[in-house]
Formats: sequence, C-alpha cells, structure tokens
Amino acid sequence: MAEYIIRRTFQMTIVFFLFLIFSYLLFNAIPGNAFSNLLLNPNLPPDAYQRVLEIYGLDKPLLERTQMYIVNFFKGDFGYSYKYFPKTPIELISERLPRTLMLFSIVNIVAFYTGFFIGKVLAWRRGSKAETWITVTSVFSYTVFYPWFALMMLWVFGYKLGWLPIGKFLYPEKWYDAPFDSDVVFTSMIKFTVVISLIQFAAYLASRGIESLSLRRNIRFGSLITIFAGSYFYWNNGDALIQKPYASDIAFHMILPVMVVTVVAFAGTALLTRTTMMEVLKEDYILTARAKGISQKRIRDRHAARTALLPVVTSFIFTIVTIIDGSVLTEQIFSWPGMGQLLLQSVLEEDIPVAMATFSFVGVFALIAHLLADVSYSYLDPRIRIKSQG
Amino acid sequence: MSKDVLVVKDLNMHYETLAGNVSAVKNVSFSVKEGESFGLVGESGCGKTSVAMSLLQLQADNAKISSGSISLDGIEMVGMSESELRKVRWDGISIVFQGAMNAWNPVVKVGEQIREAIREHYPNNTKNENTEKIESLFKMVDLDSSIMDRFPHELSGGMKQRAVIALALSCDPKVVIADEPTTALDVVIQDQILKEIKKVQELLGLSLIYISHDIAVIAEMTDQMAVMYAGSIVEIGPTDQVFSNPKHAYTRLLLESTPSVVGEKKKLRSLEGEPPSLIGEENGCSFSPRCPDPSDKCKSGNSEMGLIEVADGHFADKCCVECG
Repeated sequence: MAEYIIRRTFQMTIVFFLFLIFSYLLFNAIPGNAFSNLLLNPNLPPDAYQRVLEIYGLDKPLLERTQMYIVNFFKGDFGYSYKYFPKTPIELISERLPRTLMLFSIVNIVAFYTGFFIGKVLAWRRGSKAETWITVTSVFSYTVFYPWFALMMLWVFGYKLGWLPIGKFLYPEKWYDAPFDSDVVFTSMIKFTVVISLIQFAAYLASRGIESLSLRRNIRFGSLITIFAGSYFYWNNGDALIQKPYASDIAFHMILPVMVVTVVAFAGTALLTRTTMMEVLKEDYILTARAKGISQKRIRDRHAARTALLPVVTSFIFTIVTIIDGSVLTEQIFSWPGMGQLLLQSVLEEDIPVAMATFSFVGVFALIAHLLADVSYSYLDPRIRIKSQG
Repeated sequence: MSKDVLVVKDLNMHYETLAGNVSAVKNVSFSVKEGESFGLVGESGCGKTSVAMSLLQLQADNAKISSGSISLDGIEMVGMSESELRKVRWDGISIVFQGAMNAWNPVVKVGEQIREAIREHYPNNTKNENTEKIESLFKMVDLDSSIMDRFPHELSGGMKQRAVIALALSCDPKVVIADEPTTALDVVIQDQILKEIKKVQELLGLSLIYISHDIAVIAEMTDQMAVMYAGSIVEIGPTDQVFSNPKHAYTRLLLESTPSVVGEKKKLRSLEGEPPSLIGEENGCSFSPRCPDPSDKCKSGNSEMGLIEVADGHFADKCCVECG
C-alpha cells in the first residue's frame, strides 16, 4: 500500500506540473491584460502603462514568464494580486477559504447522508407507492436547471415569505461593533464541526468491537447525548459565548444555500445508492442473512448497504472537490464571498496570480481526492485490497 | 422409536406470476425423525428448493403458502409473525444453500458472519464464548481457526462450503436443510463435503433434509427419501426400499438413467420430454405424457391421484402403482 501511494504521488506531481504550465499559458492567452484599461484613461501619460507592465514583469516574453512563474511557485512564492496589490494570493485565499469550507462541507455531508439514507430505503421498499413518488422527485431535482431552481427558492423564501435573508453571508449592521473578523468566527465554527464529527466517529470505532448489540446502540446514543450537552456547554462559555450571536447570524444565512444545494445534490447519491443496492439485494448472501434470522434493519444497513456503499463513496469523494472550488454558481447566486467568487472575479479581471493560485489549490485538492478515493475503495472492498498488494 | 422433529402436512405453495399461479409445491407431506436424514430428489424445477424455502418461509415475495402445516417440535410455523420466524430460523432450522460461493457477504470476514448468527440467537454470550464456539465448529469441519479472520474471497470453494456447514451448525439447530450443497464443487471435493456432512450429522444427531437431483448421493446419504415430480411427492419411503423396489414409473426411470459402478452393464435410459408446466389446474396424472407405459385410464386423465401404502412405510402414487 505504501509503495502504491508513493508511486501515485509521483504520478500526481507530474500531472500537477503539466497542469500548472497549461493553465498559466491559457490564462495568458486571454486577450489583453489586467492593466489594459489604463490605456483608456486620457489623463495618464503614455509611458505610464509601459511602466506598470515593467513593474509587474508583464513586458517579458511569455515563455520566460512561464518559466519564472513555475520556479517561483515551487519556491512557495505566488506573487502579488494585481487588483488588491499589497495582498498576496495566499492572503486572499485564506480569507475566503473558511467561508467556502464551512458552507460546502455541511452541504456535502447533509446531502450525502440524506442521499444514502433515502437511496437505501428506496431500494428496500421497491415497488411501493412512496418509492415511486420519491424516485420521480429525485429524478426531478437531479435534472432541474440549478440556477433557475436556486433563484426560485430565493424568490419564495427570501422575497415572498420573507423568512430567510437574500444574498450576503451576514448582516453587516450586526457586525458593526464586532470585536473580531468574520473569519475568526468561521474558523471556530469549523473547528467545532470537526470536533463533534471526530467524537461521533471515535464512539463508532470504540463500539465496533462490542459483542452485545444493545450495548453498542447505547454507546452510540450516549455519544450523541454527550455531543448535544457538550455543544450547549461550549457555546455558553468563554470565547464561544461572545462569538455566539455572530455565529448564529452566519448560520442563519447558511440555511437557504444549504437547503437548496442539498435538494439538488442529494438526488444523485440517492439514485446511485438505489440502483447499486437493488443489485446487491438480489445476491445470495442477503438470503443467507435472512435465513440466519437477522433483523430486517440490520440486513439492510449491515449487509446490503455496506456493499452498495462502494460506488457511492467514490462518487462522493469526487464531489468533495466542490468544497474548495465552491461551486462558482452557488456562490454567485447567493452572494457568498468564497473561493468560487474569488476564482470567477480573478479570471474576469485577469488577475493571473490569484487565478493561478486558486486554480492550483483546487487542482491539488482534486488530485488528493482521487488518491483518497482509490485508497478508501481498497479499504471498503477487501477484494481490491489484495490486488493492489499483488 | 425416536420422535418426529419436523412434520409437514399437505403443504401447498404457489408463485403468483403474470401468466397465472404456478403451483410449485402440491400437497406435500413428510416427516423427519430425530437424528434421521431425509432425502428429497427430483429433476430441476420439480419444487425441491421451493419446499426448502417454504420450511424456512424464505420464499420469494410473490410466493404464497396457500394451505398446509409445517410443525417443528410441535410448534406450528405457517402463519407465524416475522419476529417469531426470525427466532426459529437458524436456531430451529438452518440451511446450507446451493452455491457456497455466493452465500458469503464478500466484504465481511467469515468469522464475523458466523458470529453475527450466534449473536442474534444468543445475545448474552461474551465475545470469547462466541470465538470458542466458532473455533470448535471449524474444528468439526476440519478448518483451521485462522480462517475466522479471512474474507470469503480468500478461501477456496471447498473451504467456503465447509465454512457454510460450520455456519449452518452455529446455533445448534434441530433440523439442517442441505440444498444441493455440492453443486459447484468438483467430484473429489464433493465426496469430502458429503463425508463431512455425514460425519457431523452422526456426531451431533442432527435431523438432516438432503436435497439433490443426484439419486446416487441420496442413496448414500439418507435413511428416508421422497421423489418429487412437478411439485408433488410421487414416492416416499425408506431409502433402501425405494431403491430395491421402486413403485413409481418416474423413480424407476430415474434409477435406470443413473450409471452404476458395480454389477452388470445396462443401457442407460433417458427420460423423454420436459417437465409439465405448473401453471393452472390440471387433471389426472402429471407424469402420464412422459410415462413409457401409461394405462388407458391414465392417458384419459381420469386416474385417481394420491399416495397409497405399498409396503411398510413405503408409499407411492396410486395411479402408477395400479398401472404397473
């Protein structure tokens, strides 16, 4: 396995290198440059434009610039943003990343869980009326034109009903005298989410080896109670108490995007789970499990869904990539100033250093996600584990 | 005289299909005594597996048991609720499926799959007790205890089948059904597995229902046997009697179509035609279209059906007994 990962990492480095060169060349192939608009200003002396180009090194030939960029990139120097001059791309990304991470990790987890759960129930209740209707609805939400759907939801919940805010990721007036940046709050929200998921995961791992099923259930239930009590305690003490109103403001703004993206994203997982699980349910070992007298729920979750999980996890890991590139569409529609908006703006304004840095960030993440998919697949399916060693 | 463990009376089961009801099991009655092995033989599609599935009530969703009774140790199983049935399954009746290759969940360790069955029926056992139990089961079927931590794809076909037998015995069932347990194996392994089953059965005093299309295996394995044709039992009795003195034309043909290693060389006979369609009602003897020598009464479809006793404990279909 270690050898496999090393080999893959080596391959990934080469791919990434090519990716860098091609994206740099492509960005430079856009006509004009970030400073073309200076030429339209009659008040500037004619040589000013030339001076600006010299400062940023844009007067050098393309190949030389490419070479310079790649060398600097691997040294860890990503240059400066053309538009927000003293800021580096890294500063811009680290400001935007927590916002995107928060929104899209929650969307992905919620969408995956509801999708997987609905999918397995659909396969289990094959042929019932409810199954037909939910499948039809899923197909609808899987195929709906997403920007239209998102705008309709904004119109209904934000305008007609007025329950949820339109646009923005916070109410600026509330933050007027806030003692900290929104990033601080985002970071602590992310930390909180990670910690509770880790606790739940640890409880799951710890209870796996226990023989009595009822004790197992109790431990998992107990850990949930602990998490609820712990979160109540956490948000009512110390730093978190001061951050609480601001965090809840952000959470309030998150409701609509999470809801809309979940409705669109769960359907893919649900339909995929339904199909693979229906295949699995025909297998002989499901009959064996029934003959053993095991409860229906356990057969569904432990035997059928466990095997059906394989393709679903692969597709899930590939969608994780959207956590970072932040689905440009979603952020644009909901005015969520995250990575997706940064990417779009920097490309439109030909802010090449920022666009390149954002792009390579997404690229690295995508490559790692693919590796992760392969590795996790071999852990989920023992039949593959052997082959990769052989 | 040991008592009857499993009594099946007038069992009728049909599949509801678009083309009509398919009567797969028709008026089947038999009983299995404690420690006895009972064979069920017949060609493909005659309802052997349907009988096995009805015993565990694991029949497909479109299958209905329309009448009859199955009683295990005096407890009626037809009409039991799902949760009651779950207790009887594996603990009362367990089954060795045909095709051990697919009987194991590919992503769960073999030991864990056996443990799961024990855990379901003995929830108060500790982990060590269960591990010991599995070890002793593996020892009984000549498997190494390290196999517990293996995944099914790491075992050979024979090992998988042995492990399936261990699985079937894991909850000390009263009756074990072996549904063509040697189908997918080569002849040498088949022989080993048969010996294994025989050994375990004698060791534990199990009641065994052995289902096969191979009449030679039935002869070797069983004390009592029944021959099934088109969903009904056409002949039933002690195995040696049925073999030495077959009364039904179908049994005779089955015997004559099987080569014998010892004794004089005989020309093998084959059975012409196809088994009848089981859809809808039929009159008279279902075997008459393929019978080599049917009587006029039988051909006209007016013959009386039903088993009659031809010798002590040996029953055969009335129509055929009267024919020849």
